[in-house]
Amino acid sequence: MTPGKKRLSYSYYPGCSLHASGREYDISTRALFKALNVGLKEVPDWFCCGATPAHNVDELLSLSLCAKNLSLAEEVEGDLAVACAACFSRLKTTQHHLKEDDSKRKQVEVAIDGPAALNKPVKHIMEILAREYGLAKLEESVKKPLLGLKVAPYYGCLLTRPPEVPELDDCEDPSIMEDLLRALGAEPVKWSHRMECCGANFTLSRPGVVLKLSNAILESARIAGADCIMVACPLCHGNLDIRQKEIKEAYGAPDSTLFGNIFGSELHGGSAPDQRDLPIFYVTQLAALAMGVASESLGFESVITDPKPLLRDKQLL
Amino acid sequence: MSRIGVFVCHCGENISRTVDVEQVAKAAGEIPGVAYSCDYKYMCSDPGQTLLKKAVAEHKLDGVLVAACSPRMHEKTFRKAAEAAGLNPYLCEMANIREHCSWVHEDRDMATAKAKDIVKLMVERVRKGKSLAPITVPVTKRALVIGGGIAGIQAALDVADAGHQVVLVERDPSIGGHMAQLSETFPTLDCSQCIMTPKMVDVANHPNITLYTYSEIEKVDGYIGNFQVTVKHKARSVDESKCTGCGVCMTKCPKKKIPNEFDQGHGMRPAIYVPFPQAVPNTPVIDRENCTMFQSGKCGVCAKVCGPGAVDYEQKDTLTVEDVGAIVVATGFKLYTIDRKPEGSPIQGYGEFGYGTIPDIIDGMTFERLASASGPTGGKILRPSDGKEPKQVVFIQCVGSRAREKGISYCSKVCCMYTAKHTMLYHHKVHDGQAYVFFMDARTPGKGYDEFWRRAVEEEEAVYIRGMVSRMYQRGDKIVVMGSDIQVGTQVEIEADLVVLATAVQPQDGADLLAQKLGISYDKYNFYSEAHAKLKPVECATAGIYLAGACQGPKDIPDTVSQASAAAAKVMTLFAKDKLERDPVVAKVNEKYCVGCFACKKVCAYGAIEEKEIRDRQGNLVKKVAYVNPGVCGGCGTCQATCPSKSIELDGYTDEQIMAMIEAL
Repeated sequence: MTPGKKRLSYSYYPGCSLHASGREYDISTRALFKALNVGLKEVPDWFCCGATPAHNVDELLSLSLCAKNLSLAEEVEGDLAVACAACFSRLKTTQHHLKEDDSKRKQVEVAIDGPAALNKPVKHIMEILAREYGLAKLEESVKKPLLGLKVAPYYGCLLTRPPEVPELDDCEDPSIMEDLLRALGAEPVKWSHRMECCGANFTLSRPGVVLKLSNAILESARIAGADCIMVACPLCHGNLDIRQKEIKEAYGAPDSTLFGNIFGSELHGGSAPDQRDLPIFYVTQLAALAMGVASESLGFESVITDPKPLLRDKQLL
Repeated sequence: MSRIGVFVCHCGENISRTVDVEQVAKAAGEIPGVAYSCDYKYMCSDPGQTLLKKAVAEHKLDGVLVAACSPRMHEKTFRKAAEAAGLNPYLCEMANIREHCSWVHEDRDMATAKAKDIVKLMVERVRKGKSLAPITVPVTKRALVIGGGIAGIQAALDVADAGHQVVLVERDPSIGGHMAQLSETFPTLDCSQCIMTPKMVDVANHPNITLYTYSEIEKVDGYIGNFQVTVKHKARSVDESKCTGCGVCMTKCPKKKIPNEFDQGHGMRPAIYVPFPQAVPNTPVIDRENCTMFQSGKCGVCAKVCGPGAVDYEQKDTLTVEDVGAIVVATGFKLYTIDRKPEGSPIQGYGEFGYGTIPDIIDGMTFERLASASGPTGGKILRPSDGKEPKQVVFIQCVGSRAREKGISYCSKVCCMYTAKHTMLYHHKVHDGQAYVFFMDARTPGKGYDEFWRRAVEEEEAVYIRGMVSRMYQRGDKIVVMGSDIQVGTQVEIEADLVVLATAVQPQDGADLLAQKLGISYDKYNFYSEAHAKLKPVECATAGIYLAGACQGPKDIPDTVSQASAAAAKVMTLFAKDKLERDPVVAKVNEKYCVGCFACKKVCAYGAIEEKEIRDRQGNLVKKVAYVNPGVCGGCGTCQATCPSKSIELDGYTDEQIMAMIEAL
């Protein structure tokens, strides 16, 4: 840290997934920020943002949940860092709606018994890494570059859309994940499904839909020659990681006519697209790994599709 | 002046609904000096004007006030009527009791009182009015046409055929514009080159046309009838007077792999080139950025092989000044290219369409070149990536246009028709192929147009899908097009071999800068603005400058040619007189009081104010004063408001008149 320059420091809203099914996202985020010497202080007494169910049921409820969390976040200094794409989207959406609609804001302020913190800057951790910490500095901080690792950066549907809400990147042609990967020494592959929906909303009610959508994502990543997929959302992670076995059972061998064989033959040494397991990494897991954080503290043991063989193969473990 | 007539108009019900016009007329009659007043339902109609004329004669009126609509609408009408009755037209004024009163108020009593006040003060203005005589200026009977596409060519030929000299300036090395790039044209499917190239030759051979290609407008001075236009002739590096157009230089040029702009970057050209074989003039130009000689000083092959010795590496840009009386602007359009987002562009791009990264997604003009016999594939429809014949082609309409959220809200007008044409051309050449079109609505309002579109759908069996495309991606050697069909209410996925985007029509690059040089107005998209959408569609608000073609807004060929001929007709009307009459409402300087501070010169938007030296009999300089060139003055009055010594005045709006109006209240 340069003397006289203030150390970056953020308040932190993990969200429920990061304390449960997406624990590895939480611990790798904390490990990464520690490695980068960036402060991260959890908002006290935070609760669920309502994610996708709440706004389907009751708009006022979903806005109030986020508004309350935002006002709790006001108690901790620093911009609010959010890792989960769904929490990020809901918090930003709430600020956006309440800024636009005064009467809604008044209703919400009655519900949460206080002012809504509409001007607390809410930032996705990728924004913090790429723009505030900075790509150049990030590249300098890399201790173990992820050389030879072909990664399919997966944005999903919430990170950049609708364009006026997250303000994270170009909603149709984003590049922040690719930029981060390049800074870490990895090779982002060009692939078609980086912004398709994985079907998270239907994960319990219509699993068939989820299998179809997630299968298409995994397939196109394989065709593009990716070794793994990088995500920034615990819901995407859930579908792509946990369901790989189910997807294989449901879809069997991929239809070679569906994808043609041009990419397959060139990129897989003549073999047709296969059903290789594709480890799913959180952006913070890969970044922390590159920063030389010990793999034991990145939660690799708690995922279903084991990433260790791949990492060993690439001499990253 | 003491015998003024006041004529109050009902404007149907436009005025009388809110203003008690009878009362206004009655009150006007009581103003001292008003000898006659009346009201009438339509003062502008023939009986209304007759009423005015009769009253002037019967009551020996020496001034007329018409209380009616805006002077913009009918001042000329009433001044003409007054003139017919023997009055000087500038002794007739209008009081605006419609836009300034009846339209903007609801309370009848208050509006009536206001109308009476307006009439009262305008009567004072009439009382102090003076007879004015029109200013005459000479006319240079020579026209300048900017842009050598079909619009510029048509306008130039029409004016030249009428016996006037024309200077045609084109910034590219050849005339022909976009129309020369097209394959076949709707709705008759005649070959574009076959109707275009003879016209290009006519231009080159016309004794009355001076053709400057590879030239740009540098500066425009002067005013209607008397423009001085500085034209920059960019260095061609080939002497036009010596070149015979044999083409040996082009075949011997060692650099041959430069993307050909005329073929939308799909064909190749050498560094010394003509844009296309039928170019006019058939004189090559050296593209200095790509020429080895200019980049490293080592080559000079073209100069060695040139028999007549026309290649001149030392050539420099030159300037000429052309005196012209009228200017026709015909700078045309460009197609929006969605992968390139220039700084300041309002367009946000279509990242999910993959244009620019997937080679088989092309725009409409590129398809024209693929389908054209003179194009890079010799007229065969072959896709750019691997040269295979595409069996499934998807056309997407309204890319960039009619998309407010993307920045352009207007309809580009020609795409429905040219896409229908593309599907036909495709089916004519690839018999086992299938064309799909994603569209919002089919807009085909032209003679024979709807029939043409129906033919594409019903007889040639293009599949039209109403709905838009969300994204496209490469899968193997196919492009997966994901869209919606809103008539069936379902999602559609098509595996296409080639995708053609009908992208928005935009004004040419630099259209705004040219407009600033010309002093004409343009809209937020940089299309040039006509003086009146309905009644003056080819004139600019700046006198003596006319518009033709797509520089004013998206247009198809028939509309463009019609407008070009209309612009030519306006030029000929201007040239029909030896002297031009201009409105005498211009500023005049009282040289006795003017101190020569030239504050007026700084604020004059028309550049009408010059410095004039006053000398005594011995020729010694006494002082410098301002002088208003009446031919240039726009009569806006800014100088009058600015002048600290009150020595500049606008005829018809003198300080004395304004003070009298104020005192009347």
